[in-house]
Amino acid sequence: MNNPMIVIDKVCKTYHLKSRPEPVRALDNVTNHIDRGEVVVIIGPSGSGKSTLLRSINRLNEIDSGTITVDGVNVTAKKTNINALRAEVGMVFQHFNLFQHKTAMENIVMPQIIVAKRSRKEAEEIANDLLEKVGIPDRANNYPSMLSGGQQQRVAIARSLAMKPKVMLFDEATSALDPETVGGVLELMRGLAADGMTMAVVTHEMGFAREAAHRVIFMDEGAIIEENNPDDFFDNPQSDRAQDFLRQIL
Amino acid sequence: MEMIADKLSIVQSLWPFLIKGLWVTFQISMISILFGSLIGFTLGIGKTLGNVVLEKCINAYLHILRGSPYLVQLYIIYFVLPSLGIAWLSFDSYTAAIVSLSLYTSSYVTEIVASAIFAVPNGQSEAARSVGMSKTQTYRNVIIPQALKLTIPPMASVYVIVIKSTAVLSVIGIAELTRQGEVAIMRMPGDIMFIYLLIAFFYFLYCYPVLRFSKWAEGRFGQLGNDLH
Ligand SMILES: Nc1ncnc2c1ncn2[C@@H]1O[C@H](COP(=O)(O)OP(=O)(O)OP(=O)(O)O)[C@@H](O)[C@H]1O
Ligand SMILES: [Mg+2]
Repeated sequence: MNNPMIVIDKVCKTYHLKSRPEPVRALDNVTNHIDRGEVVVIIGPSGSGKSTLLRSINRLNEIDSGTITVDGVNVTAKKTNINALRAEVGMVFQHFNLFQHKTAMENIVMPQIIVAKRSRKEAEEIANDLLEKVGIPDRANNYPSMLSGGQQQRVAIARSLAMKPKVMLFDEATSALDPETVGGVLELMRGLAADGMTMAVVTHEMGFAREAAHRVIFMDEGAIIEENNPDDFFDNPQSDRAQDFLRQIL
Repeated sequence: MEMIADKLSIVQSLWPFLIKGLWVTFQISMISILFGSLIGFTLGIGKTLGNVVLEKCINAYLHILRGSPYLVQLYIIYFVLPSLGIAWLSFDSYTAAIVSLSLYTSSYVTEIVASAIFAVPNGQSEAARSVGMSKTQTYRNVIIPQALKLTIPPMASVYVIVIKSTAVLSVIGIAELTRQGEVAIMRMPGDIMFIYLLIAFFYFLYCYPVLRFSKWAEGRFGQLGNDLH
């Protein structure tokens, strides 16, 4: 079982927008892989294709060419049951995207009943455990509009975890949070990493990248420019573009 | 004093007819609203599925219904269709009234439902899809429940439009409220003004609660930026 969890092979994606004269090459022949239990942090300037790459892994975005496999299953193949695959790939969004008409508890319970076909009783037990784990057991019956950003993101993480995913994808999970709540959510993510979860994390939190990542990928203009272990990457970036980028944000 | 007694006696003698007329108005509008809403919900959802051909067909249907006066639609369904000689298209006046009003209602409801669905943020369906829900499950459990809330206020104002449109049905001889009033005026031509006021009052009795509900619902469920008016 040494094969990687995620394999990304020569993936290309171009956006054509009527409002823009030039097509945008969001992914330019990207090849990489993520091992089981590995935590990969993806960084890069705005518009470099980080979100597009992440969203291609669970096919929220369609790619033009290349292949992506998750645990050996080809994401874009016609015969792949994409809903079953997505259930095994958790995704956490910048803006949480909790179901607005459901309580925190119901946000976690509903997908379990509908997708994983669990009984309500079992789903609620799992949801209670997860609310405990993400640190807000007292918020079970609150609607999203009554929760702070940090609390909403904790519920969103719990909702993903309830599906018992093999992989978790985080797309700027803390970018929309108040500074004082960022730390708690990052800590939760570090905990997941320590439990052995395979994670692909797009973030601007360099502290998190340095501490929690096994590997850092730097992207620019749709391509992976550089990758390394965090210490070497941050202390000794090789490419000019990575050096520029780090100088600007640090 | 004498005048008031006079008016009271008019009210007294017309009351049973107006109540009967209001009852017919109520029945026809309620049945049409029910069927019209069912058709409208189906087409409204259809419009959002991202199927270009389906969307074009629905838009054509809407253009035809929204682009012609209801009275003309009623004439076509009641007078013109039977002349085609197709048995099941020869409606009696009640059926013609309900069919035409249902279609008319559906044209409004379709737009309301479609814009409510489009108003649900994209992130909601992305979140649903990313936990593994199918498109159908996402509509059923996430998008439609949230969109329904948004439809409540505009829907109530459409219902008022439909209720008032039933007045047109007097031209095909349906004994609804306006028709009952016109019959009364033939009997008492001297009181035409008073009788029309009385009819207006009866419509008001029916529409006002619906309008109040619409206003209340707007505060409760929020407003939809639709292109109704
Ligand atoms: N749905 C879309 N339609 C058209 N162009 C898009 C779309 N999504 C992304 N793009 C373009 O593709 C490029 C890569 O976008 P992407 O969102 O992947 O970047 P990113 O690295 O996540 O940026 P950010 O840090 O700002 O989130 C950008 O130029 C963007 O404008
Ligand atoms: Mg992004």
